[in-house]
Amino acid sequence: VPSAVPVEMSIAPVEQETVSTDELAEADVPWITLVWNDPVNLMSYVTFVFQTYFGYSKTKAERLMMDVHTKGRAVVSTGARERMETDTEALQGYGLWATFQKDV
Amino acid sequence: VARGFKRRDGRYVAKLDTVERGLVVGLMEQVRELVDPELVDPEAVDSDGGAGDDRDGGAGDEFDQIVAGLGGVGLGVSLSAADQAPDLSGSVPPPRDPALERIFPTANREDEQLAAEFRRLTEDGLRARKSANLTTAIDALAGIEEQKISLEQPQALALLIALTDVRLVLGERLGLARDDDFELLEEQVSGLPRDDPAVYALAVYDFLTWLQETLAHALTP
Repeated sequence: VPSAVPVEMSIAPVEQETVSTDELAEADVPWITLVWNDPVNLMSYVTFVFQTYFGYSKTKAERLMMDVHTKGRAVVSTGARERMETDTEALQGYGLWATFQKDV
Repeated sequence: VARGFKRRDGRYVAKLDTVERGLVVGLMEQVRELVDPELVDPEAVDSDGGAGDDRDGGAGDEFDQIVAGLGGVGLGVSLSAADQAPDLSGSVPPPRDPALERIFPTANREDEQLAAEFRRLTEDGLRARKSANLTTAIDALAGIEEQKISLEQPQALALLIALTDVRLVLGERLGLARDDDFELLEEQVSGLPRDDPAVYALAVYDFLTWLQETLAHALTP
C-alpha cells in the first residue's frame, strides 16, 4: 500500500528536496514516442491516426506525417515513460511503426 | 467497376463486386489467423518451413499463397540477388515471421530489456484487439449480397485498420522495404504474364491501397 508521503521526501532536508523534485521532473518528462517511416502506410492514413488518436489538428497531424515521410521518423508525443508506452501500444494497434525511448 | 468509399449521410458507402469483396475478406481472414493468439499452433511451424497448410480453404489457394508467403510471391518476383531463401533445414528453430515482426515491432531500439518487457506486456492484448478488429471488418463485408457497401462509422474504422494489417503483411511478403519499392517491383514484373503470381499479388496490393486511400479520406474529419 503506497503511503501518502514518499519516505525520502519526509526525511529529506530542504535543499535535497529541491534536488529530488528536479530529479522527479527529469525522470517524468524525457521520454518520447517515435513513428518511423515505412513503405506501406499511406500519408492519408498516418495523418488520420495522428488526428484520431492524439486529437491533433489536421495541420499538426500533417506536419508530423510529413516529418515521418521525409526525415524517416518523427517524435509524435513526449512525456512520462508509461504514457509513451501507452502511445506506442496504441499506434502499433493502428499498424504504425511506433517505438518509445528516453529522450537524450 | 469498383467504386471507392465516400461519406454519405453519416455512412461510408462503396461498390465492390463479389470477387473483390471475397478477396478482401479472404485476406483479412488469413491475417487474422496470423495474429490471433488463440489460433497460434506451435506444430504448424514444423513442416514446410512454417506456413500452415491446413487453413480452412474458404478464401482460395491463390490468396493462401499470397499471404502465407510460401516463397510464392517473394521468390517469384525476385529476379535480383536480393532474394535469399533462408535455409531452414536442421534443428535451428525458425525465426519469427517477419510480417509479425512488422505488425508487432520491437518497441524500444535502445534497450532490449524494455523492448522485451513491452512485448511481454502488450503483444497478447494487441493480438486480441487486432483479431477482434479484423472480425468486425470481416463481418461487415461478409454478409453483403449486393455490390453496394454501406458501413457505419465503427465498421468503417475497423475496415480501415484491417486494410492496414493486410497491406502490412502483403507488403512484407512482397519485400517492400523502401518508399519506391512498389514502383520498382512493378517495373520488374512488367514483362511477365498477367496470371503470374507476382503480377497478381502486386495488382491485389494496388487495389487494397486504392480502397484504403478512399476510406481514409472519407473518414478524415
